[in-house]
Amino acid sequence: MSDILEKISKAVIEGDEDSMADLTRAALDEGLSAKEILQGGLMPGMDHVGVEFKAGRMFVPEVLLSARTMKGSMKVLEPLLAAGESITVGKVAMGTVEGDLHDIGKNLVGMMMEGAGFKIVDLGSDVSPDAFVEAVKKDKPDIVGMSALLTTTMRNMGRTIDALKEAGLRDQVKVMIGGAPVTADFAEQIGADGTASSAPAAVDLAKELMGLT
Amino acid sequence: MRVNYQTNAGTQFRLLSDDQLEEIFQAVLKVLEEIGLDVHNEEARQILGQNGASVDELRVHIPSYMVKQALSTAPRSFTIWSRDGDPEKNIHIGAGRPYYGPGPTCPNFLDPYTGQQRKYLLKDASLVAKVCDALPNIDFCESLGTISDVHPSLGATYEFAEMFPNTSKPIVAWSYDWEDGEDIHKMAVAAAGGQKAFEKRPNYVHYCEPLSPLVSSEEALNKLIFAARHRVPLIFTPCPSAGGTAPSTMAGVLTQAAAESWMGLVIAQLIVPGLPFFMGGVVSIMDMQYAVLAYGAPELSLLQAGLTELAHYVGLPLWTTGGCTDSKVIDEQAALEGALSVFFAGLSGGDLCHDVGYIGSGMTGSLQQLVMMNEAIGFTKRIRQGIEVTPETLAVDVIHDVGPGGHFLGEKHTLRHFREFWSPELMDRNKVDDWEAAGSKTLGDRVQEKLVEILDTYQPPALPEGIPAQIAEIVAEAETRVAE
Repeated sequence: MSDILEKISKAVIEGDEDSMADLTRAALDEGLSAKEILQGGLMPGMDHVGVEFKAGRMFVPEVLLSARTMKGSMKVLEPLLAAGESITVGKVAMGTVEGDLHDIGKNLVGMMMEGAGFKIVDLGSDVSPDAFVEAVKKDKPDIVGMSALLTTTMRNMGRTIDALKEAGLRDQVKVMIGGAPVTADFAEQIGADGTASSAPAAVDLAKELMGLT
Repeated sequence: MRVNYQTNAGTQFRLLSDDQLEEIFQAVLKVLEEIGLDVHNEEARQILGQNGASVDELRVHIPSYMVKQALSTAPRSFTIWSRDGDPEKNIHIGAGRPYYGPGPTCPNFLDPYTGQQRKYLLKDASLVAKVCDALPNIDFCESLGTISDVHPSLGATYEFAEMFPNTSKPIVAWSYDWEDGEDIHKMAVAAAGGQKAFEKRPNYVHYCEPLSPLVSSEEALNKLIFAARHRVPLIFTPCPSAGGTAPSTMAGVLTQAAAESWMGLVIAQLIVPGLPFFMGGVVSIMDMQYAVLAYGAPELSLLQAGLTELAHYVGLPLWTTGGCTDSKVIDEQAALEGALSVFFAGLSGGDLCHDVGYIGSGMTGSLQQLVMMNEAIGFTKRIRQGIEVTPETLAVDVIHDVGPGGHFLGEKHTLRHFREFWSPELMDRNKVDDWEAAGSKTLGDRVQEKLVEILDTYQPPALPEGIPAQIAEIVAEAETRVAE
């Protein structure tokens, strides 16, 4: 691994947000491509963070800082990509379902997914089935993620899936659901593609749904 | 600038008022002066008699001026040094600094691998020391047992010889009598670099016990006199049980326990004014159904808190008690009783809290209980930190930046402070699916795993070169002595 890629990995691990743009430009100046920087610097850094997190040596705020640091590099890289070229592993449109304002879980999953190389379209909270449908049409995500904390609002996950079916879009996307009351049985019952009980598990599931693992 | 602003830097409670403490103090002086104690040691009686006590055969009456004199020379703050001078492991006795560790002399031991109860063996002392050294919330080492498979007079000598190479944390040592106390002292002095160096930086504490009610044995005072003459910090700790060997009322237990401990204080301070001295007491009730000293009783914590306040009122550090249980195994009772007494000891601020790891009413030592209580002590230490109130901690700026409906997970402020959260090592906060996937382990399972991991992988810092050979020589000389 070249020195500069190693520095980029280290900056991701340490959450050195301030140096990231400069390091990325330096790597480009050395003639490295965006893809090489992503695969040789950013992703190994985030992989290390993932291992440390699972081992209980790094914690949520630090993982998010690393993810944000990585995003700082992506911002520099994205404008340089040729038309149609992508350096993300997938696109996820996510929101908290209609009637529910609890979004900390959704935000956490979103940021962790960003750290794993996903592009996130955050639809916010209290997102109606129609708004999910519109987002799928407009943003063309690979995955739709839905979150709910309440047993009452959880039913709107099923309604959103029904709306996607009615619009003829269900087959174009994978659907992940999550939140404290959500179980695997419930996911199956409403026709979602899966659920996960924690943010890191959600990242693993998203990768699985993208055929990456 | 804020002026005359009052800060509570930490969490501590107060049980007795100054008026109540003064009343107990006066009662203790009255017991020592008017009732007196039986002192089964001629030299101790001589020392007391020559300095103003009235001696009538075994009975010694100590006038209050002698007690006050002793209290005035005993220090409230001092340091017990770690074996290798590691600053992280030094114990700085002083107001508001509780430390934790195991207790001595249980006849039985829970096997650290099988969990079966058996006799305490020679090999166990080194394991206890190793685990004490590895656990971050255990500050000093004591053996949790009486070695059963060596010469009966050499249990304490072997115990220290086994523990000293396996922990650099300060050891609280006990002995049967003068000679084995001397063995221990020689080993400690060898590592300290001579008697003079030891006096500057004492690396162990000697533990002695008077009997209740109001008696001191020949041996207990031999040990005390030996330790004092050699400038070894001392613990003099009675074990009165309310309703059995002490009155059944709480204030009566405190009064008697203090009188018993202060008799030792007076002798020690007469021999060496300024000698570090821990007032002590395992103060609890006699269970009136089973006639045992209850180690898990609420009265234990209540009495220990009262004794702590009395000690601090007169300017002495206290050897207090917690982390122990009457349960015979590592179960819910052991966790509940142990954790509550650890917590209460922390909130009352007793200086050295011992008996962490006692189960079966003090009859059995358990490293499992010690490992579990390490977690309870961490929990307690976090609560003791209290709540800091400053512009930074009020965090109005970050509340502003995040605003309604946002979140704090990615804020620099969060990054600066979230590590102040206590991080459990053994408490499970996992999601139920993940917990099941990891084997549905109970706290007991996790405690056992952690214990085995320490025993199988932890390497304590080694003794300096040459010291192990000196220790072996001291032990060999002791064997020759008892063979004669």
